[in-house]
Amino acid sequence: MDTLGYLGQGFGVALTPYNLVTALCGTLIGTVVGLLPGLGPINGVALLIPIAFALGLPPESALILLAAVYLGCEYGGRISSILLNIPGEASTVMTTLDGYPMARKGLAGVALSLSAWSSFIGALIATCGMVMFAPLLAKWAIAFGPAEYFVLMVFAIVCLGGMAGDKPLKTFVAALIGLFLSAVGIDANSGVYRFTGDNIHLTDGIQFVVLVLGLFSISEILLLLEKTHHGQEAVKASGRMMFNFKEAASVFVVNIRCGVLGFIMGVLPGAGATLASAVAYMTEKRIAGASGTFGEGDKRGLAAPETAIGAAACGALVPMLTLGVPGSGTTAVMIGALSLYNITPGPLLFQQQPDIVWGLIASLFIANVMLVILNIPMIRIFTRILAVPNWALVPVIAIITAIGVYAVHATTFDLFLMIGIGIFGYILRKLDFPLSPVLLGFILGGLMEQNLRRALSISNGALEILWSSPITFGVWVLTAIMLLVPVLRIWRKRAQQRRTVADV
Amino acid sequence: MLLQRIFAATLLLACAGLALMAWPYQAAFSYEPVGPRAYPLLMLGLMSLALIYMLFRPQPAQHKDDEPPLDRATLIKIGLCVALLLVFAGTFEPLGFILSSILIGIPMARLYGGRWLPSVVIITLMSVGLYLLFDKAMDVPLPLGLLDVLEN
Repeated sequence: MDTLGYLGQGFGVALTPYNLVTALCGTLIGTVVGLLPGLGPINGVALLIPIAFALGLPPESALILLAAVYLGCEYGGRISSILLNIPGEASTVMTTLDGYPMARKGLAGVALSLSAWSSFIGALIATCGMVMFAPLLAKWAIAFGPAEYFVLMVFAIVCLGGMAGDKPLKTFVAALIGLFLSAVGIDANSGVYRFTGDNIHLTDGIQFVVLVLGLFSISEILLLLEKTHHGQEAVKASGRMMFNFKEAASVFVVNIRCGVLGFIMGVLPGAGATLASAVAYMTEKRIAGASGTFGEGDKRGLAAPETAIGAAACGALVPMLTLGVPGSGTTAVMIGALSLYNITPGPLLFQQQPDIVWGLIASLFIANVMLVILNIPMIRIFTRILAVPNWALVPVIAIITAIGVYAVHATTFDLFLMIGIGIFGYILRKLDFPLSPVLLGFILGGLMEQNLRRALSISNGALEILWSSPITFGVWVLTAIMLLVPVLRIWRKRAQQRRTVADV
Repeated sequence: MLLQRIFAATLLLACAGLALMAWPYQAAFSYEPVGPRAYPLLMLGLMSLALIYMLFRPQPAQHKDDEPPLDRATLIKIGLCVALLLVFAGTFEPLGFILSSILIGIPMARLYGGRWLPSVVIITLMSVGLYLLFDKAMDVPLPLGLLDVLEN
């Protein structure tokens, strides 16, 4: 029952007026950022890190702000997928399938509030799961030594490739680029300058914010240049804004099922919201069978992916908070934010700074409630933001990105570095490489190297330590299975192709 | 396919170059069995393996439907946009935030299809507004540059 006490304490932190206002600002900013093309949760959160730091927010408020922005971004992405049929990011692709048809039927407001509600239930289920499992996991994780951590991180990276599906090799290369980039700068153990080219600005390594904004904002700005069609007509959100009780009840079972599913998928590193929403949608479609009108505006088709996304987003916080190993791009950004405050997420965080952990969990609750409530009065204003033309938007995004980067160290070198990384990111995107593994690799890289070296120091250079304990051995087995998944998938696809060829 | 191969080859060369760069990294005095060289070399090695595989078996990029193929006009636009961003970074401190963002913001708005008058008005207002918002209201220090004389 300790946990409930802690959760109460967390609500105490989150419900102070100061933090409530912070959460409100965060959800508003997040919604707008998520609405705009070219800005998503990853760069939205990254942009706010230096600003939150400059504002001198205490760590728990900063974290609440970032979590609120994150949820707001997800909600903003929903608005553009439901009203414009343009998914803001990969995870909301499934939302457009039934959300847009619903909006076309004149149920835009209902679709939006119902999606917020579903996401709230998903988050609620995931938070309950977190309250139950996170302390257990944290207790267990204290037994982890450096070797266990190293193997766990290898597993997280391999999971990315195994789960990402169609392009495991590209995902793997992208992650390795990130893992390598983390080695730039002075080596903390020996004082050797690595890959700095005698440049004084690189001694500290590549700044996290610079990497994120370069990879995601600058490359997106360049990508927007290609898009010729813009100013797409949004479906007017008129009529009833709130869903009614009957509508909520009709999707309740779906909510519960997809919430549990989303949480489990969220906890697994590398799977995340995109996969969770796809699996949830497909499962519900199969369960509904002939009675469903999936693809033509079925409420269950909207509720299923949204619940799963909400649950997965919170579930992804579990490995981040308990193990310090992020499982998704956005949680990687949050780790970056925490490290600015000198907070190392991991099992000890639950004991040493329960305020931060439980305050964060409680504020996720509150931010979700705020989003449901905000939906009613604000939706007309939000839809108007969708009409802002690109020519006014892009220069402002470029300028704000530059401010965010400049705020970190106040050097123009970082601006040049960001542009360079941005061009590289653009090339990667054009060649169909996924970008978030780069980010995840960058965050994990430093930890991975430290843990590897620490482990080998303990064993005095003997490599056996990396697989001798039962935990490490188990994780290696899981890693091997994960490595086999894409190979099997490709093999099966080839066999299928051969069969179709044989049939013809 | 060709582009994928060129990219893999370039990255492979970069890996080799970086590995050469990493070779002399050795701690002058060390207590631990693993020095600063092992980890980067391990990463570069794994990356090279993957890239060599890609060199021989490139995987085609899947393009989305709404993505038009790159033509000369877009490439010129992208080049211009990059140039503008570089000018922005270069003039950020000497000219100051407000002037440099007006300087690059207006051509950039034109690049994305804005008309002259609205671009000039909106970008100018935005530059001043963002300066006031971030520097004055949110304590993010931004350089004033040439406009320094206006203050005090």
